[in-house]
Amino acid sequence: MAHYTIFGKDPYWMNFWGLMILTAIEVAAVGVELGDTITMSILIGIAIPKFIMIAAIFMHLYGDADSKILTMTALFPAFFIIVMVFFIGLTSPGSATELPAWCRPGYWT
Amino acid sequence: MSADYGHDHHDDHHASPWGPHDWSHGAPHNSFAPLIMSAGFAMFLYGFANVFIGGEVADLGALSGVMLGLIIITMGLLVWWRQDMSADGIYEPKATGAPFRNIDIRKVSMWIFLMSEMMVFTSLFSTYIRYRLGIQNCGEVFLSGEWVEGTSVVCFEPAAHLIASSWFHLAPGAVNTFALIISSFTIVLALKTAKMSDKKYADKYEIDMERVRTHRSRKVAMFLGSTLFLATLFLTLKMIEWFIGFPTPGPLTDLNHGHSEIASLYSEGYTIHANSYQHYAYDTSYHDGHDIPHDSALYSMMQAGTHPGGVMMADIRVGASTFFVTTGTHGVHVLAGMIGLAYMTLKALRGGYGPSNAVSIEYFGLYWHFVDLVWVLVFPFFYLF
Repeated sequence: MAHYTIFGKDPYWMNFWGLMILTAIEVAAVGVELGDTITMSILIGIAIPKFIMIAAIFMHLYGDADSKILTMTALFPAFFIIVMVFFIGLTSPGSATELPAWCRPGYWT
Repeated sequence: MSADYGHDHHDDHHASPWGPHDWSHGAPHNSFAPLIMSAGFAMFLYGFANVFIGGEVADLGALSGVMLGLIIITMGLLVWWRQDMSADGIYEPKATGAPFRNIDIRKVSMWIFLMSEMMVFTSLFSTYIRYRLGIQNCGEVFLSGEWVEGTSVVCFEPAAHLIASSWFHLAPGAVNTFALIISSFTIVLALKTAKMSDKKYADKYEIDMERVRTHRSRKVAMFLGSTLFLATLFLTLKMIEWFIGFPTPGPLTDLNHGHSEIASLYSEGYTIHANSYQHYAYDTSYHDGHDIPHDSALYSMMQAGTHPGGVMMADIRVGASTFFVTTGTHGVHVLAGMIGLAYMTLKALRGGYGPSNAVSIEYFGLYWHFVDLVWVLVFPFFYLF
């Protein structure tokens, strides 16, 4: 359990309200038509802190005696994630024809 | 007086590779069961990938593989349950080797399990990114004018195009996001309540020490039950969003393009075998009142009389498959969590959790927070954008 406070308050309560507010902003950002680039930037800009807040405070990757080694453990797959997202997900983005035939629509009909 | 939580008596246990573990002698709880389940999962997934084509059962051999896989998974779960059901969570074996020395083995195991889960979801996300960027977006195809009414074009249709088209379509996903965040918090409250020392608990709630155990049990069960309720709400809303739909409140019908009902994704035709999908946004007559962008090729072609307009039909099977597989995999994780939560709620009601074994809630909580964490990424990129 956490042995620290955030602005003098219970960290779990602060984290909870922070997540609720960020989610409300996220949903509102889609309702207000701001254009694809701005909307995408807002969504990424909110998803990252939400991700960190849940992992660090709710999952105790911050503030516990074993937080450091467990954070390293949690980050270990990051290497593979980078490979998968950047070298598979984002390769040749303009070309659907480079996908193997069995990955393309129509092959299985 | 200190309350006695969750103690089981198991003096007669003998160490066996298949039977209940010998907790009283500090035996490590190594088990063959996960290997059995892994084989079952492999068989199930291999069969499942081949069993349906175009929504029909196409291969009975694959179907028997699915059934056999499910039987093996169930057997593995039963063996695991039999081995571990005697654990009271008070005796915690510690890791002895670097780098996890002196950390609870269950905690380390849970994190390693979550690492494998990260890989599962990363593969789903990278597939989604690859297809989304590799296949032309249906909206772009529509505005390019490179389509003819009556002939389906292959393109990527993000579910967000439909879901984020109105507040009503978005409502189930948005409510679900809040539900998962609240459920993450309620499980933290369950842990805090279970972990508090008896003295501190009695002081906080101003009750006698004799009443601590009963009071605490009710409170922990309430928080775990609330988490279970929110998880049930999540899956119910997902079913409504996918298959059922819901009526639009009367005065708000105008905000829903005049429709009195929010159709489900299934009713809208957004399915994994939709090869002639027609979203209202791909209807040029609909666009007469909503302006096709004047700088688009379609507008120029229609002005020049080289494009007759009409309704664009799209083969959206790839986009729909990535959406349903990713959100479905997440839903299966929620379902698995609900089974765990149901067991834990019942255990809490029987006084099963206290300061000495509250870590069991913490370790389940790690899994539950991970489910929330995945949704933090799924929601914006599959529902909103």
